[in-house]
Amino acid sequence: MSELFAVKYSFLIPLLPLLGAIVAGFAGAKLLKGRSHWPIWIGVGISAILSISLLAGMLGLWHTGQNLSVAKDVYTWIDTGNFVAKAGFWFDPLTAIMLCVVTGIGFLITVFAAGYMKGENGYFRFFAYLGLFIFSMTCLVMGSNFIMLYLGWEGVGLCSYLLIGYYYEKPAAREAAKKAFLVNRIGDFGFGLGIMLIWKTFHTVSYFGQGVGTNTGVFELAQMGHLTAYQLTALKVIPFFLLLGAVGKSAQFPLYVWLPDAMEGPTPVSALIHAATMVTAGVYMISRCGVLFFGNQPAMMTVACIGAFTALLAATIALRQTDLKKVFAYSTISQLGFMFVGVGVLAPVAGVFHLVTHAFFKALLFLSSGVVMHAMSGELDMRKMSGLKKVLPITNLLMLVGCAALAGFPFLSGFFSKDAIVGAAFARSNILGGVMLFTALLTAYYTFRLYFQVFQGPLIVPPAPAGDHGGHGGHDDAHGQDHKHNHEPMLMIAPLIVLAIGAVLAGYINWPSRHASFGDFLGQSPSLKQGYDVAKASYGEIDGSALGQRITGAEAEAPFTPIMGISAFVAIAGIFLAYELHLKNRAKAEDLAQSAQPFTAIVQGKFFVDEIYQGLIVEPLRTLGSKLDGFDKFIDVMVALVGNILQIFGYLLKLTMQRGYLQGYAAAMLLGIVAILLFFFAT
Amino acid sequence: MFAIGIIGFLTRRNLIVMFLCTELMFQGVGISLIAFSRYNHDLAGQAFVIFVLVIAAAEAALALGLIVLLFRTKNTLDADAWREMKG
Repeated sequence: MSELFAVKYSFLIPLLPLLGAIVAGFAGAKLLKGRSHWPIWIGVGISAILSISLLAGMLGLWHTGQNLSVAKDVYTWIDTGNFVAKAGFWFDPLTAIMLCVVTGIGFLITVFAAGYMKGENGYFRFFAYLGLFIFSMTCLVMGSNFIMLYLGWEGVGLCSYLLIGYYYEKPAAREAAKKAFLVNRIGDFGFGLGIMLIWKTFHTVSYFGQGVGTNTGVFELAQMGHLTAYQLTALKVIPFFLLLGAVGKSAQFPLYVWLPDAMEGPTPVSALIHAATMVTAGVYMISRCGVLFFGNQPAMMTVACIGAFTALLAATIALRQTDLKKVFAYSTISQLGFMFVGVGVLAPVAGVFHLVTHAFFKALLFLSSGVVMHAMSGELDMRKMSGLKKVLPITNLLMLVGCAALAGFPFLSGFFSKDAIVGAAFARSNILGGVMLFTALLTAYYTFRLYFQVFQGPLIVPPAPAGDHGGHGGHDDAHGQDHKHNHEPMLMIAPLIVLAIGAVLAGYINWPSRHASFGDFLGQSPSLKQGYDVAKASYGEIDGSALGQRITGAEAEAPFTPIMGISAFVAIAGIFLAYELHLKNRAKAEDLAQSAQPFTAIVQGKFFVDEIYQGLIVEPLRTLGSKLDGFDKFIDVMVALVGNILQIFGYLLKLTMQRGYLQGYAAAMLLGIVAILLFFFAT
Repeated sequence: MFAIGIIGFLTRRNLIVMFLCTELMFQGVGISLIAFSRYNHDLAGQAFVIFVLVIAAAEAALALGLIVLLFRTKNTLDADAWREMKG
């Protein structure tokens, strides 16, 4: 395993994007200017090639039935007494798949971004941040211990903050960046506590220590028989702390509120960070820590319930959103909810599978809406546009593919992965399955509501505000004129076509759904193997194939299940509903919305979650803050008073004693000396 | 000698005389140091005085220089002429 070329040079995977970021960041402003994308293209491109070769190498080894996991330490990062953290990497199928998603889709998006961001102010800054993001994200998925995970975790959070606030001259972007950072802080605080507790419990932060079977890492220590009472108690709570971090990063209820606002960032950022990669970190983390989570029934219940509730809530909100990107933002939250349900019902294969397919089609959708935004001079309100297929013929097709995949249209990628999750949810509980199925219906509806509204029907193009590219802060006029002739430059369309192919075909990596496919490959990851063991110990008999484990008996299961039929029907029903309401008779949709009035208003107000947070958390905290500020001022006055009193004494002394007679001073000194001498001789 | 120096310093107003009085105090201390070192059969005191003399010579040159400067600005050697130097 370790002789694989890609493993040997694995340190280059995070290093090259970082170097690219440094070059773009420091040389970009003066030297590279409009060519600042080159360091990032090269860095991320080579990383992507290495990642794919890693995956290919692993697939080769998998077919010959070899061990697929290896730890590779680069150097000792922190070494203080008994706390040691290595800068090391851990490779297994889960890492390889995540790496390919991060660097592969990351590369496509950097290519797109070069076209999209052309002529923006701070072009180099954008690419420097992108490089830094890829570096952090690869550290996150490759790290061999929790400290590396945390490094990447915080790094992506920082890059997310920087990139959301990219148009920092816009107040909304600044606010959104701050909100994302602060909300993530809540989650990261819990995550940090979880890692500290892990160290306190096991005195190591490494996943597998020296390798699988050495019993030196957290995951193996947690599985050993003779644990102390303290360790057993800690194992019960650790998943909840880690889960808090996952909920923050993956935008789940109650910490999802930052993601819709994060759409203030440039569209490639929304695609890369807030759809395809960063927000899936939570799903990755739970799968990685399978041994901590899967045996812990309350934690798994929480994961599944949070996921299901978020999926339903976000899908409902998406029904009444009119901003193109906001619809996709809520859709992302909803789909992340699906992934959480996937891992929560002990089907991490389905969860990670949906992660991969979702990365393709959601990146595609975001970038397509970026093309629309680019062509419509920054306009995103879908009520103002219609029938764009005449202006943007290629984008129309791409968007259709993306929407169909998201809606779960049969035989596209979203269909397979969503179906796997819905099926797994039904296997655990009918209520959970029902909720997911209903959410799938809503998904199909709101996706095609958007598609029919924007691309079909009579042509309505929003009037272009001359010279002012609203959403595009610094677009100059010349650039805008340039694109009047060609709204679909090749540089932007080519990556989209690759993504579209992925969105169609990615579903077939888990085909046929049992052996010799994605699930089995993923199941070679020790995280999932252990997860299966602990889950079996805790739940009794479970479906091992959902964790990618080869089990005897249920092997020859058919690739088609009844659930597939139902979910196909649901998807088509949703699309049909959207067709009826938003293409054939658009007025009917409004009538229907009006007839369900209080509900419509609540949905339109996004369930007033932001307002509730404002009232329940932000305002009381602000009041407390101003009270504390008053107390602080009181302390300041008291401290100043001490100094003032002494100053008054000094002033009095100056007036009485310091008169300028040299002899007077000498006499006083003499008297003082005499007094001291007398004092000494007297005692 | 030390007492003469103190009295002179406290009673006279002339800067040069005051300075001479400080030198007197210096030498008073030096002589008593030598006397005590002789009495105690300890040469450290005498060595110490030699150092003090060297420093005193340097300091005397500096102080006289300062007095010359003060005299040039005010055309007087009266110590009370510099009362405005108080803080």
